[in-house]
Amino acid sequence: MTDQGSIDLRAMATDGKAVRALSRRRMLQLAAVTGASAFLAACGTAGTRTPGPSASAGRPSPSGSAPSVGPSATASPSDTESPVPGASTSPSSEPIQQSREPVTGNFRFANWVGYMDKAPGNRFPTLERFTEETGITVEYSNGAVDDNESFYTVDLEGPLGVGEPTGWDIVVLTDWMMQRLIAKGWLEQIDTNGLVNYPANLLDQYRSRPWDPDNTYAAPWQSGMTGLGFDRAKTGDLDSLEALWDPQFAGRMTYLSEMRDTIGLSALRLGFDPAALTQDQYDQAVAEVQRAVDEGLVRQLAGNSYVDVMDLGDAVLAIAWSGDVQGLLVPDQAADQDFVWVLAREGGMIWTDNMGIPKGAQNKAQAEAWIDFYYRPEVAAVVEAWVNYVCPVKGAAEEMLRLDPALAENTFIFPTEEMRARLHEFVSVDLDTAALWEEAFNDAIGL
Amino acid sequence: MSWFRRHPSATAYILLAPGILYLLVFYLYPTAQMFLVSLWTGSPETGYALTGNFGIYPEALAQYSEHLTRSIFYGGAATIVTFLVGFPLAYFIAFRGGRYKSVLLFLVIAPFFTSFLLRTLSWKIIFADNGLALGPLKDAGLLPDTFRLLATPTAVIAGIAYNFLPFMTLPLYVALEKIPPNLLEAAQDLYADGWQRFRRVTLPLALPGVFAGSLLTFIPAVGDFINAELLGDPRSQMIGNVIQARFLRVSDYPTGAALSFILMAAIIIGVLLYARLVGTEELTGGTT
Repeated sequence: MTDQGSIDLRAMATDGKAVRALSRRRMLQLAAVTGASAFLAACGTAGTRTPGPSASAGRPSPSGSAPSVGPSATASPSDTESPVPGASTSPSSEPIQQSREPVTGNFRFANWVGYMDKAPGNRFPTLERFTEETGITVEYSNGAVDDNESFYTVDLEGPLGVGEPTGWDIVVLTDWMMQRLIAKGWLEQIDTNGLVNYPANLLDQYRSRPWDPDNTYAAPWQSGMTGLGFDRAKTGDLDSLEALWDPQFAGRMTYLSEMRDTIGLSALRLGFDPAALTQDQYDQAVAEVQRAVDEGLVRQLAGNSYVDVMDLGDAVLAIAWSGDVQGLLVPDQAADQDFVWVLAREGGMIWTDNMGIPKGAQNKAQAEAWIDFYYRPEVAAVVEAWVNYVCPVKGAAEEMLRLDPALAENTFIFPTEEMRARLHEFVSVDLDTAALWEEAFNDAIGL
Repeated sequence: MSWFRRHPSATAYILLAPGILYLLVFYLYPTAQMFLVSLWTGSPETGYALTGNFGIYPEALAQYSEHLTRSIFYGGAATIVTFLVGFPLAYFIAFRGGRYKSVLLFLVIAPFFTSFLLRTLSWKIIFADNGLALGPLKDAGLLPDTFRLLATPTAVIAGIAYNFLPFMTLPLYVALEKIPPNLLEAAQDLYADGWQRFRRVTLPLALPGVFAGSLLTFIPAVGDFINAELLGDPRSQMIGNVIQARFLRVSDYPTGAALSFILMAAIIIGVLLYARLVGTEELTGGTT
């Protein structure tokens, strides 16, 4: 995999539109994902042990250009000064970063694209701020995760299956995948001893998840919605899932390679509740996806890289994640493009992505320091205002409105009650059924 | 020294040892391992056991025969395209290259200095529906608005041909380069015209190059999956994509492994037939 700085795609084409269309970041994200798969497919069952994050974003910024987010920057030193009484009685435990000696060093962070506030020059202000405050650098891989299943098989399954560390210290994955990792015992407990903000600032609705009732393994990162993303300039206004099966857009649509998103919408279109999907309903929903593929309606099935296909103009309609359109597509759109995201009238999917620490992570204390940092409301607010997803941090909403009152109107960040009523989670099935469903889905999509 | 002289065959084995060791460790062992994997039954959740389930072979073959034939077709088509492009190219470099020969050869290999993946990805930009290549043609009304190159079988075949062109060109060049000019002169002296000279002298002598080049192109092309993944649509996925998905998306290792062996067998059979038809004595160890 390549270092993000070393390749200049601008050299590949001179036409401004084409270059803008597939920005460096996204191209490399795609490259990294396929590259890893290529390598693995070539060598069989083994997993890569060193995933090689492609960006080292959290360099201390000597220019002092980290964003100032109000007066709150002074809050952090106090975090590191409050000692935890009694912590020293557990000699075997690793040094606890917040309370006793602050740790330095670095940690490696695997995330999806468009999931961290970004400034020109491929800088991530929030990560820079974290580094300034703590001295911990972040090897941030923007787009290491393209879809859950691929990340699991490429980056996690191989090493964790034989008890080796994965090379990642924080991975951001969706609920059902976290559930699988917890069931396999492949996540470290987040040591909250001495953490000031986590889980204290976790919103109540995330505290009763049956697979992680005490929030020991999964720290929610963002929640988001799955619906219709389209270029209104080409498609006109859309509000129904029927559009995804409309021959008018044949060959100009992408579906998600995440089974739960694509099948979820297919089920909603057929009038089924994805949260209570039966085997029979599942089969019907898959058959509809199969039909769309067979009839050539679907140009491509992709993970997060669907945004590239849309950006280039090759797809005008996609099964899309809510924040991507606002955060990744709209800022980049050409004069003849008008990207919008809509929650279809039949409904959409809701999900939560979580931060987890893979078993044997070598920089666990640093990762925990980061989790605590993110759960500071004014930090989460800055990330949130950029990524346009739903924030799990208590107090972040207020901070955001203080930053920019107009955000109150942003339904990506604050879905209305009416929208919430139309959002569904995907049914939680046992692992064997999930495997069968995944297989049926792959058959349907030509693999 | 004298010991080696007295045991010439021992010397040969000592020289071969690194190569044999390499093959044992990096080819035979993983292949045997993979064969065992194909006979597992189980699921990633419950674990696997070696049950000698040979039934997986006909099952996998039946389920994915479409992908298999598609791959052989794409690989074959790409090989023909590389030959049609590569032969004139190699011919020109060998006979008309003059003092630019090495520069021209370098240019043939030059794309290899950029990652395979990036070159293929750049096609997505160049051949986007309204991109550099198609946009102007559509604006000029030469192509219908709905025309597309990406996400079609044509794009996959063209992508493979593009990526494997040097594998065809270089062996062809070596074969053509070797042809002694006096043979061509002799043909001319015997009143052969240009076409006869090409057909009766140049082409037969270039056959070893054709054979080597087409094998070097065809074998990896059939198993390729990057081009189908990036340039194809869900209906043009190749057997390599299925194997990749079995290993990396569904964690169905036995089927993935079985498909790998089926692919290997298909290629070996194909190559043997081809060797029978086209293979030259030079390649099969005979004397010329």
